[in-house]
Amino acid sequence: MASAAKQRRAQAGPGRFSQDERRRDSDHVSFLKHRRFRWLWIALGLSAAAIIGYALIDQEPRPNGGSWYGYTLGTIGLALIVWLSLLGVRKRRITPGAWSLKAWTSAHVYLGLALIVIGTLHTGFQIGWNVHTLAYVLMLLVIASGIYGVIAYATLPPALSANRREMTRAQMLEALGAIDRQLEAAAQPLGRAEADLVIAALGQDPFAGGPLARLTGRYPFCATARALKGLDQVGSADPGAAERVRALLEKRREQLAQIRGALRIRALLEIWLFVHVPLTIALLAALTAHVISVFYYW
Amino acid sequence: MAFLIRTIDFTAAGRELIRERTLDQDSLTIGRAAECDIHLPDLAVEQRHVALTRQADGTLAARALGTLEFGLDGRMLTEARIDPRTGGEIALGAARLAISRESDGRVLITIRQVAAEEGKGDVLRSFALASVLPSKRAMSWIFAGAILLLLLAVPVTSHLVRSPAKPDPEGMTPGQVLFDRAWISGDLSVRHQSLANNCESCHVKAFESVQDETCIACHEETGDHAKMPRLAQGMPPLSAGDALQWRIATSLGKEGPLGCVACHSEHEGAVRQQPASEAFCADCHRDLKTRLTDTALANAHDFGKAHPQFRPLYFASFGAARPVRASLDTRPLERSGLKFPHDVHMNPRGGAARMAVSLAQYGKPLECSDCHSLTADRIGFGEVEMEEDCEACHSLVSGRTAAGGFAKLRHGDIKHLAEDLARIGTGRRPALAPGRSRPGQLGSGGGYAADFGRPVRAYIGLSNALSEGGICTECHLPTRGRTGQADLIPVNLPDRFLTRGYFNHEAHKQEKCTSCHAATTSKLASDLLIPDLASCRECHRGASAAKTKKIVPSECAMCHAYHLPAGQWQPKGKAPHYRPLPPPPESGKASSVVAALARPARK
Repeated sequence: MASAAKQRRAQAGPGRFSQDERRRDSDHVSFLKHRRFRWLWIALGLSAAAIIGYALIDQEPRPNGGSWYGYTLGTIGLALIVWLSLLGVRKRRITPGAWSLKAWTSAHVYLGLALIVIGTLHTGFQIGWNVHTLAYVLMLLVIASGIYGVIAYATLPPALSANRREMTRAQMLEALGAIDRQLEAAAQPLGRAEADLVIAALGQDPFAGGPLARLTGRYPFCATARALKGLDQVGSADPGAAERVRALLEKRREQLAQIRGALRIRALLEIWLFVHVPLTIALLAALTAHVISVFYYW
Repeated sequence: MAFLIRTIDFTAAGRELIRERTLDQDSLTIGRAAECDIHLPDLAVEQRHVALTRQADGTLAARALGTLEFGLDGRMLTEARIDPRTGGEIALGAARLAISRESDGRVLITIRQVAAEEGKGDVLRSFALASVLPSKRAMSWIFAGAILLLLLAVPVTSHLVRSPAKPDPEGMTPGQVLFDRAWISGDLSVRHQSLANNCESCHVKAFESVQDETCIACHEETGDHAKMPRLAQGMPPLSAGDALQWRIATSLGKEGPLGCVACHSEHEGAVRQQPASEAFCADCHRDLKTRLTDTALANAHDFGKAHPQFRPLYFASFGAARPVRASLDTRPLERSGLKFPHDVHMNPRGGAARMAVSLAQYGKPLECSDCHSLTADRIGFGEVEMEEDCEACHSLVSGRTAAGGFAKLRHGDIKHLAEDLARIGTGRRPALAPGRSRPGQLGSGGGYAADFGRPVRAYIGLSNALSEGGICTECHLPTRGRTGQADLIPVNLPDRFLTRGYFNHEAHKQEKCTSCHAATTSKLASDLLIPDLASCRECHRGASAAKTKKIVPSECAMCHAYHLPAGQWQPKGKAPHYRPLPPPPESGKASSVVAALARPARK
């Protein structure tokens, strides 16, 4: 009995330990560095092979997507694009195993980059106003947005964290609400013109502003800023109250700046997906049209 | 120092209840315990939660009395400083304690209860960019739908539903298939540009490669390089890779390596069809005889290294109906029917040169161009015309006309010659004595007798002219006609000597004629003065030869065309690149290949 248990431990122990160790390691390795850049090397190899083939194989009368090499590159490219776009499906199926989502993401990034080489060589550098170039341009836009996404995910989260200053999003809104309630009370002694400025500031949705305002962090129509400017111009009957309101508006502006900072970083983090995903679907449609049209008018 | 505590509550009916009390002390405690200065009956609040202490500078120090934090202006803190002048709001459970300063210096604490915020998650969702952008799914559907509709569904449907437009090389007929212009995979070649808006003129059936019959529908005059079975037989076996490619391509409807589109690849940009490379020709012609054993063509693959001797077309016997071909190595003798020693005419000190010097129209010894003139296309030379090119010296003047000019014998037809000679006998001559007639005028030998007697003189003249020593036989060979009458051997010269290759004289104008044509030493008209292979190879070598000042690497296409009939490849200038052969002469039994230099001497 005892010897059996010992044996079992001898079998399971080191294996399990190393397995756990591996898991712990991999948990903290970025998908970019996954398995010592395995997919980077595979992508580089694929690109190098495609370039060497393109340089060495004589394509008459000129390099073309319709030569045998062109068809080969096109088939590889099409398979890659379809597979890459399946990341959206894969990430929704949470499964363990060798095909971890991290490995898949790593391959997605690097093979996606290799597609620049394969797709460009497939075109034979022939660009025109047609469905074929549309597919190519869409592919490049998708890849460019993906590159931006990787950079954004690598660099922006620390900024988001710094902007929070240990406040949750709910607390930021709560803080704004607290300031607003004080403002409302403090503004009671003010005259009409000043009161209207405060009402406008309080009435404005903290999330007002379109995608452009969010991305740039510029809010030229900010009612709080306008109220602050307005208070300076309007002479007040009650300088004490006006001073208090001004201080509170200043606080409100700071609080809004934090919220808007969060919005800006969130927007910068998320904007690429609004290009990447719809253009991927558009690319799949353009690829369908590209492949069918080429053989329809063969 | 005092605190003014104002509590705002709402009745069940929603009416506001405001109660105020003043605490005249420097610090106060807030909590759930009843003994606290501000009592908040809320389980989320500690028994003794926060203490507020007035500081010397007028601010309030807030300190959590237990382990639980308190909220100040949205943040959770355990210690804070609040300036009543600018204010602050302490959050404890559902209570909000707004701190401010009354005008009399008292600190006002306004307490009100806030309703638990509902739908807070929805508000938080506003932080996501998605709240200000259309959804990714909607954008995806719109983009993909627009692309599939405009660039796939519309062209395919209109192709299936509408009747196709006819091919129109003028480019006046637009295609019936909508938006298929967006399918163009590259600019059309220069000559096909007019078809750019009419895709279905070539792409007739869906999923079918462009077929030869479609090309030939317009290019009907394009001849075969050879008949298809012979082409197939003459082709070397395909490499494994090519065979696989063509197996796939033919299974998908391509017409194989001998179809039009195998060489004439379209949509390769606005370019012109390029000449076939030497390698392309050599593929088959390097060892054609091993596959096409009955071919008359010798193997060839490189002009400098492996090209057969030229086999010009010439007339091998006098008055032959057809010219024949023979290799220049066999030293063929040309039987043109002419007497013409080139050397006599070319000698700068000979009689011909003397005569030319004495004539105003030459003024110096004869040159080739005095008799031979380039055709308008500057490629070959035209016929030598007796009247234009010879007659300045070889005069046919026969007397004076009534108008005072010169009468001359017409050249080219013996009938004309006979008429002209007869006219000499009947021409007006001076009266023997002015004003008076004399007897004997009608006697034999007189003018009258010549006019009305038997036409002896004219016949004698004609016979003399055509016989050995006569004026005609200066250049022509005498013979006898069917009835034994005096006649001349008809002149036979081919239009072109090298009919399967093309030679551009214009391109060789920096050379002297005599550096290729051995005219200065040719004593007889039977010399065939076509340059041989060796003389061309002095400058022209195969395509792989190194280009020097003297050596011109020469592709097959420099002299040969693939499709027949075709003309010489024109690397520059306006299309067509292959200049077609001149149209065949209208008269005579001579074919387009055969033409008489001088029109046959008699009909």
